[in-house]
Amino acid sequence: MTYVVTEACIRCKYTDCVDVCPVDCFREGPNFLVIDPDECIDCAVCVPECPVNAIYAEDDVPSDQQAFIKMNLDLARGWPSITKSKGALPDADEWKDVTTKLDQLVK
Amino acid sequence: MQAIETDALIIGAGPVGLFQAFELGLLEIQAHIIDALPEAGGQCMALYPNKPIYDIPGIPVCTGRELTHNLLAQIAPFNPPMHLGQAVMELRQEQDSRFFIRTTADQSFISKLIFIAAGVGAFQERKLALDGIASFENKQLFYHLEEPEQFNQRTIVICGGDETALEWAIQFASTAKHVTLVHRRNEFKAEKHILDQFHDLCTAGKITLCVGQATGYASKDGQLTALKVEDLDGHSQILPLDGLLVFFGLSPKLGPIADWGLALTRKQIVVDTARFESSIPGIFAVGDINTYPGKKKLILSGFHEAALAAFAAAEAIFPDRPVQLQYTTTSPKLQQLLGLQKPT
Repeated sequence: MTYVVTEACIRCKYTDCVDVCPVDCFREGPNFLVIDPDECIDCAVCVPECPVNAIYAEDDVPSDQQAFIKMNLDLARGWPSITKSKGALPDADEWKDVTTKLDQLVK
Repeated sequence: MQAIETDALIIGAGPVGLFQAFELGLLEIQAHIIDALPEAGGQCMALYPNKPIYDIPGIPVCTGRELTHNLLAQIAPFNPPMHLGQAVMELRQEQDSRFFIRTTADQSFISKLIFIAAGVGAFQERKLALDGIASFENKQLFYHLEEPEQFNQRTIVICGGDETALEWAIQFASTAKHVTLVHRRNEFKAEKHILDQFHDLCTAGKITLCVGQATGYASKDGQLTALKVEDLDGHSQILPLDGLLVFFGLSPKLGPIADWGLALTRKQIVVDTARFESSIPGIFAVGDINTYPGKKKLILSGFHEAALAAFAAAEAIFPDRPVQLQYTTTSPKLQQLLGLQKPT
């Protein structure tokens, strides 16, 4: 199993999750984070850190977010590691309540 | 410092590490326990002391703190020495096949057996990520504060948004010259009464709230003089200070476990399900840190693992003696070990 970052993270990228990860398994894209499923140890420490509740256990990913399981796997291959939190994207607060924003994802 | 010699050494004082000491005690194996945190309980105390747990067998509900206190009471008859506030730095096998261990407090051990019950790793304070600021640590920069009086009538900047950060801000509001609290968002993780008190003091001008993130600092003659904070719009502010307190909470790090030559899968220790022994005989792994087919990261699974690992350990410690399964309900021997019956 692994944990999965879902749509809520897009254009917010608060990065609070990154600091608590014991195995540094987050990968950073321009406006989204993903979890490398080969590194994640299923500890769940990141889940409550996310201010927009974007992180789910693979088995708990909502039905309309299932595509993110494969997306985390694929994007983790190409994106660099992020190990320390940094500020959210400047307009994160404007996007945090937007529920449909997959079209905004920059790969 | 002289090395402590023991039969068993448990790395991690979370619920599974504590119960491991109990199971070893019933089999007459004395254990020492090491933990990076200053108190026992592991994640139960560090992450969810007040949150309910509903799946401990026979206990319909208890908090992380209650579970820890109950486990400490349960293992009290065996009185395992606890070495807290220190993480394991080094583990190697000696010529005589015993294990040498050294901690960050420079305490060393020589143990016949090792039980790794380290969960998601050693919890550490999350530090302020600014180059060179570490040189002010424990002089003007503090991650925990033991002598708050030194900042009476001084200017304090506090970074963080959890209950600890707010409590210190509230306390300094009445003793310091000026208190600023810096947090990335105008949202805080704290009990309501603390949050209310904090907001009242902000409204009254006793605490200044600064939403943003520390991006730099200024120093003069070896003294830290100010913190540079940038808000979400990129505007920066310079906050003069005498003291800087940072409460970013705890973060677990798996640390050197990967360097000990154990077979790992996704950074978890591979064990067999009869003995819960790693690829190195004599090193067992129990609880969240191990993996095997069907593994579920539940506290109750860890308890089961600790029991079987203890029986495997007894075979190794007492090779000439059959290890018998006895019940605490009826066994005079076990009850004697638990201090319930006088030796005959």
